[in-house]
Amino acid sequence: MAGYVVRRTLQAVLVLFGVSVIVFALVHLVPGDPIRLALGTRFDPQTYEALRERAGLDQPLVVQYFDWIGSALVGDLGVSFRSGEPVTLLILERLGATLSLALGAIIVALVIAVPLGLVSAVKRRSPADYFATVVSQAGISIPEFWMGILLILLFGLYLDILPPGGYVPFGEGPGDWLLHLLLPAVTVGVVSGSILTRFVRSSVLEALGQDYTRTARAKGLREGLVLRRHVVRNALVPVVTVTGVQLAYLLSGVVVVEVVFSWNGLGLLALQAVESRDYPVLQGAVLLFAFFFLLINLLVDLLYAYLDPRISYS
Amino acid sequence: MRTSRLVALVAAVMFAASCSGGGGGVDVDGQGGGGSGGGGGTLIAAISAEPDKLDPHATTAYASFQVLENVYDTLVVPNPEDFSFEPSLATEWSTSSDERTWTFQLREGVKFHDGSAFDAADVVYSFNRIIDNDLATAFRLEAVRDIRAQDRNTVVVELKQPAPNLLSLVGDYKGMSILPEGAADEHNLNTEAVGTGPFELAATSPGSIELTANKNYWGEGPFVSGVEFRVVSEPTTALTQLSTGEVHWTDNIPPQQITSLEDDESVTIETVPSVDYWYMSMNFERPPFDDPQVREAVAYGLDREAITETAKFGAAEVNQTAIPEGSRWYYDYAPYSHDPERARQLLQQSGTSNAQMGLMVTDEYPETVQAAQVIKANLAEVGINVSIQVEDFATWLDRQGRGEYDAFMLGWLGNIDPFGFYHAQHTCSGSNNYQNYCDQQTTRLLEQAATETDEDQRKELYDQAVKRIVDDNSYIYLYNPDVVQAWAPDVSGYQIRPDRAINFETVKLGG
Repeated sequence: MAGYVVRRTLQAVLVLFGVSVIVFALVHLVPGDPIRLALGTRFDPQTYEALRERAGLDQPLVVQYFDWIGSALVGDLGVSFRSGEPVTLLILERLGATLSLALGAIIVALVIAVPLGLVSAVKRRSPADYFATVVSQAGISIPEFWMGILLILLFGLYLDILPPGGYVPFGEGPGDWLLHLLLPAVTVGVVSGSILTRFVRSSVLEALGQDYTRTARAKGLREGLVLRRHVVRNALVPVVTVTGVQLAYLLSGVVVVEVVFSWNGLGLLALQAVESRDYPVLQGAVLLFAFFFLLINLLVDLLYAYLDPRISYS
Repeated sequence: MRTSRLVALVAAVMFAASCSGGGGGVDVDGQGGGGSGGGGGTLIAAISAEPDKLDPHATTAYASFQVLENVYDTLVVPNPEDFSFEPSLATEWSTSSDERTWTFQLREGVKFHDGSAFDAADVVYSFNRIIDNDLATAFRLEAVRDIRAQDRNTVVVELKQPAPNLLSLVGDYKGMSILPEGAADEHNLNTEAVGTGPFELAATSPGSIELTANKNYWGEGPFVSGVEFRVVSEPTTALTQLSTGEVHWTDNIPPQQITSLEDDESVTIETVPSVDYWYMSMNFERPPFDDPQVREAVAYGLDREAITETAKFGAAEVNQTAIPEGSRWYYDYAPYSHDPERARQLLQQSGTSNAQMGLMVTDEYPETVQAAQVIKANLAEVGINVSIQVEDFATWLDRQGRGEYDAFMLGWLGNIDPFGFYHAQHTCSGSNNYQNYCDQQTTRLLEQAATETDEDQRKELYDQAVKRIVDDNSYIYLYNPDVVQAWAPDVSGYQIRPDRAINFETVKLGG
């Protein structure tokens, strides 16, 4: 087990290194010049050259890459062109907002998906199943920004019971934190939950059709026990995989929802970095997102062994 | 073991959530008030974009200046009514008979937010910092040969040639702020601010900047204990927050919402014509737009009323020159009307058939994308086939800089003196003459006007230059948009300004 984790970690380092090369190349290939952008239309050649030199952009790309990756190895991701602040600080400042939203949304998603998916699989082709299908189809189809705005208008303006946007750190008041989190978490969670519902339904259906389920029923187990011990447990493995992917996706920021709820997370940071061609911030953010994916994949794999004793990593 | 790992993960998440963003944790409510009593609560302003950096000499972002306006001071400030310049850190000024030496008398008893006293050395340091480092505002001090402190309260500026617009150059906006001597070495000015303005920077966090009242402020205010700027980029969210009282002020108002807000009693909304202008420009190096008749055809082909209505829902004034009516530099000249017949004739006379135009616009400024639809329809009538090219702003600027376009639409914001409106855009070697317009007579007129110290003669020179610019269609001017801002009914003493400067010095809450 420990050997497995070490092996996977080494692999992850290699992958991250590859990601760093690709990200660096892509970021610099995108048309647009951060210095021109910083100066706007009021362009002055002298100022332009001075700023380019100060940002190190006059160096050859290879030199720039090794400068960047060298510092990154010791935890220094450089300084934002846009704000002049260290990239690591910019990321850390926004990590809490992103973690809160991602975790809140995934909880909402699971609360929706597990019961809904289970019922629609067990009561297949019943009105409950059709209801679940319609709900999940709607959840996937409704654009997030529209649902977000509707929720703001309903709960923020007309009912006036929830704050219409903004993020409050957990440390400044858990109650406030939760109140502000509710609307965005539901907005994102409904979409993720709708996707998850379909996976829960199909993997439960599959488990229901397996021989071991028939055997369990044949030996006279009550239906509740059959579901709990045999069906759900087996159906969980693919669901965990998809939940992991969803979580990793949410951790890399949900830009649209962040904009609607003025929720200052990593998604907005990355969007701003793209718009202002803020190379250091963009590189740092993408590297972090890659890290999230690798970490969550590792956790998901380890979770398999717990859920299914047949899987072993020794 | 497995459970405990899960618990550890959740705990780590909670910890991270509680640590980060804590920079905004300073509660400014209830702290002592400003110079004239103050203590009247914290005003919360919802702005639509995030300030990039707080160094007034380095940033070009409007969002940053919304904050900096309240933190820093300049030597002089524009009066919002007629844009004459009024004393601020300088109380009096005079020029030598050859107009090449300006002497500024400085205000006494002013203190920076760090407690140090303001004097002539700070002015010399600030302007030299801009010049020596080629910072974003360096072009404003191009005419300066030398700046020196004559004594503690007197600054002398020597010029290479007369600059009748010097007050505008050093006082238009807070890009020319005065910092304490050595500030750039002692502070990270990107994230810290040491000004003399009515408010001090208290805390920054993602999406929020908090200011507290400067108790030692030299002016009459402030009357609130602090100001918090919150970034709310979605207008629906900003307006909902304004209605529910969560914020007191916002400028994040889509023009199509103005009418419904005017009927809303929980909100005060005001509009005022701005000094900004939006225009279309064609590439003089690319046929067929190198032909004056083709450009004239475009000028006659456009329905400016329809363009303005579509882009701004009526919250703008059509104008065929850059400077809005109301300014003393306004020149009433409008030779074009929407005349597709005339446009077709001109096109025919020029021998152009099957004209194609790529019109470059950017979603950074959605009004250009909207206006482009009308421009396309207008010009189709005339026989010019327009393809609309929507680019992100970085790519847009890149293409503009390399001259890779047929035509584009954009705006210039916040100019006050005609030099800023016309010079760099229309002189042959002007640094912002992307369209490559080069008319010797226009350049001569603009250069003369730049150094003419008699104001009436200067106006006359600019009028002549503008007539040529409009006749040659270097720019096709379209409209001056309104400034639109809204605030809660309990906000008083706020003045909406044509230059979009947002100053909360005199604002009171709960009146």
